[in-house]
Amino acid sequence: MSLEAHLFLALLEGTVGALVLALTALGLSLVFGVMRIVNVAHGAFFMLGAIVTWYVSTLLGSFLVALVVAPLVVGAVAVVADRLVLRPIGYEPESTIVATIGLLYILEQAVLMTYGPYARPVTAPIYFRVDFPWFGYSGYKLIVGLVAAILLVATWIALARTKLGLYMRATQQDREMAQAFAVPVGRVYTTAFGAGAGLAAVAGALIVPVQQAHYLMGLDALLLSFVVVILGGLGSLRGTLVAAFVVGLSDGAVSVLFSPTLAKIVATLLVALVLAVRGRGLFGEEIA
Amino acid sequence: MAPVTALLETKAISKRFGGLEAVSGVDLRLDRGEVRALIGPNGAGKTTLVSLISGRLNPTSGRVLFAGRDVTSLRAWDRVGLGIVYTFQITSIYRGFSVYDNVALAAQRRRLRKLSDWIALDRQAVARDVEAALATVGLWALRDQPARALAYGHQRLLEVAMALALRPELLILDEPSQGLAAAEIDGLCGLVRDIARAATVLVIEHNMAVVLELAGRVTVMDQGRIIAEGTPREIEAHAEVQKAYLGR
Amino acid sequence: MTLGLHLGVLALLAGLQLVVPPFHHGMLARIMVLAAYAAGYNLLLGYAGLMSLGHAMFFSAGMYGTGLAIHYLGVGVATGFLLGVVAGLAVAAAVGLITLRTAGPAFLIVTMMLAQAFYLATLYFNEITGGDQGFILSGLHLDLGGRRLALADPAVKYNVALAVFAACLLLNLWLVRSPIGRILLALRENEERTRLLGYNTSRYKLLAVTVSGVISAVAGSAYTLLFSYVGSTFAGILYSIYPLLWALLGGAGTTLGPLVGTLVMTYLVDVTSGLTTAYLIVVGATLVATILWVPAGIVGGIRARWAPWLP
Repeated sequence: MSLEAHLFLALLEGTVGALVLALTALGLSLVFGVMRIVNVAHGAFFMLGAIVTWYVSTLLGSFLVALVVAPLVVGAVAVVADRLVLRPIGYEPESTIVATIGLLYILEQAVLMTYGPYARPVTAPIYFRVDFPWFGYSGYKLIVGLVAAILLVATWIALARTKLGLYMRATQQDREMAQAFAVPVGRVYTTAFGAGAGLAAVAGALIVPVQQAHYLMGLDALLLSFVVVILGGLGSLRGTLVAAFVVGLSDGAVSVLFSPTLAKIVATLLVALVLAVRGRGLFGEEIA
Repeated sequence: MAPVTALLETKAISKRFGGLEAVSGVDLRLDRGEVRALIGPNGAGKTTLVSLISGRLNPTSGRVLFAGRDVTSLRAWDRVGLGIVYTFQITSIYRGFSVYDNVALAAQRRRLRKLSDWIALDRQAVARDVEAALATVGLWALRDQPARALAYGHQRLLEVAMALALRPELLILDEPSQGLAAAEIDGLCGLVRDIARAATVLVIEHNMAVVLELAGRVTVMDQGRIIAEGTPREIEAHAEVQKAYLGR
Repeated sequence: MTLGLHLGVLALLAGLQLVVPPFHHGMLARIMVLAAYAAGYNLLLGYAGLMSLGHAMFFSAGMYGTGLAIHYLGVGVATGFLLGVVAGLAVAAAVGLITLRTAGPAFLIVTMMLAQAFYLATLYFNEITGGDQGFILSGLHLDLGGRRLALADPAVKYNVALAVFAACLLLNLWLVRSPIGRILLALRENEERTRLLGYNTSRYKLLAVTVSGVISAVAGSAYTLLFSYVGSTFAGILYSIYPLLWALLGGAGTTLGPLVGTLVMTYLVDVTSGLTTAYLIVVGATLVATILWVPAGIVGGIRARWAPWLP
């Protein structure tokens, strides 16, 4: 394949990847923006979404049902975790990090115990090929990109136009002020945490026909989400989108042209340095 | 030729935060041994100005000179080493440490000069300094208490003790009487007069009684600039000052 | 009195090898080396108040520094150890400089990212490092007083591990009771106040990160020498989470906490791994349980309730 073909493939892969990444990272960004906590278990929610999708589509035979059920189930798990662990510790930043690391291991190992160590495929609901001049490309992947884009828009609308969205934005701006205006901050927190998990789960569900479901698949998602959220700025939807595209496209390009491992090395080094030098993301507010 | 008694001078010092100029071209001059009060309405830039002097903030432009030396580029911790000591407007002590340990942390700073000091600190000397500082403010009896258990007035005094243990040349007190009861304020005034025998003092205050009691001269700020300077009596009668305060 | 307590603990550990069945010797040796690692981590967490998720970088810098030097350059154990420590120092100082202006969650994320990049690099360059498989070192020995002591020998292993742990423990104890220790605690509690008392807080942060990293590298180097193995696993995120877990469970900000935490967790993981392949669930459960119910850790809890003089 010629260079243009490689680049075009990288562009396609990168775009699809970026959209899914944006969806995943948005969940993380939302949680930090509203609750001011770093959720290290975020990748585990992504993984859970994929695993639940496998179960539902294998047992019930319907991928579409799985796509609806997965975020609900994972969201519920997140709400339980919030009530049982995060709320009692008062969402204190460092304690929350430790608690979410614990949650990560519990979820991962629970999946290992039930689902097992193997990677299992899920058949895509639709299979068709889109023929480009140089190669055929999976039509399903293109649909994934489309669905991800639709969900991103839907989330934006929900945040900008609904009462819940208003509550979340108010809590993010100024928590004390929001409380003074009788915004139910406790419930907003729980909802935000559940919603963040749900977004990650949908992303995992969408990607599982492409990637296969495996109990360790959350780590890469987590790392890339961190990269996006730090570069794009925590809590900034626009920043997350832009950063997701930058990261998704360059990850796609470097992966195709060199190696996936090298892509990850470059990405993690880059964000570490940005954060170290600026103390904040490229668009965003302070993290500390 | 500038008189050699000037301890602190700021030259056209300014600090801009985004669109707001908090301090604007201020020329302040403190003579060695004086007690100066810095007054003005809220938001006048008083705390910003002393933050520039102590090194908590870097100026947008202008210079700070201490004992004739340009210290503008010196970091806060090095300025403390020269003798510029700042006590916070909102009490900032180590709540988890004992009263003794709070002051010890301040006192040991002077004694950690050479590498050998780190290995074998002269604990006796530090202990003497701590005792002296605590005795001066009257907190020696409470030395083993955790700092968080102290009443607010005592916490203020603890801060002063920590400042004393640093052997200040210039002591900057940021609203020291705030939150204190009348009797405590009297005690504070006595304390400051004692301190002023050995150090130069710059006090930010809203309490005019304290200002009249302590200050040799008063500097008045409003909207980032100095609008008047003089003895307490002169300032009391000054028309612009009255306008600035009454307009509060 | 405190010194007596610590020496007593070390004496107890020394005596254990006479009392305890041989199987446990290897286990205890491993625990002591890892407890040294935890002690290094605890210096940063419990005293300077900085939570890192990247200490595997330092541990494995020591491991690779020593292991690669012995494997490729054929140096002896002592030189290998020294090179491991130097490698650890270099990495720790670099990380300290990079993270100078970060704190809290930012510090955590930067250290995690740097460590992940380090880990991925060990996989990427697997012709040199052996990657996940790693490689084995053989014939490691110390020549002392005319006698050749094979490090693989259980008794030698145990006592070298004890010596390493003892050194780290006593260094830790000295440090936390010195002026530096108090300044670190002050820095943790109120950074701006500490700055305005005349302390260059950046320098102390750098010092804390560097010393913590070097101790971790010492542990990593010792681990390689005593267990004759070098591999990428030790650079992975789990080995950054382990010292956090050990220090937290044992009691962050106590000198004896790391030993207690490492001891309890290592046996817990060992027992659980016999029951299920998903044994890491106890890691997760313990982290959650500790942060919910025993945030001061075991030794921290003891100190709060009965012994406020414990360092």
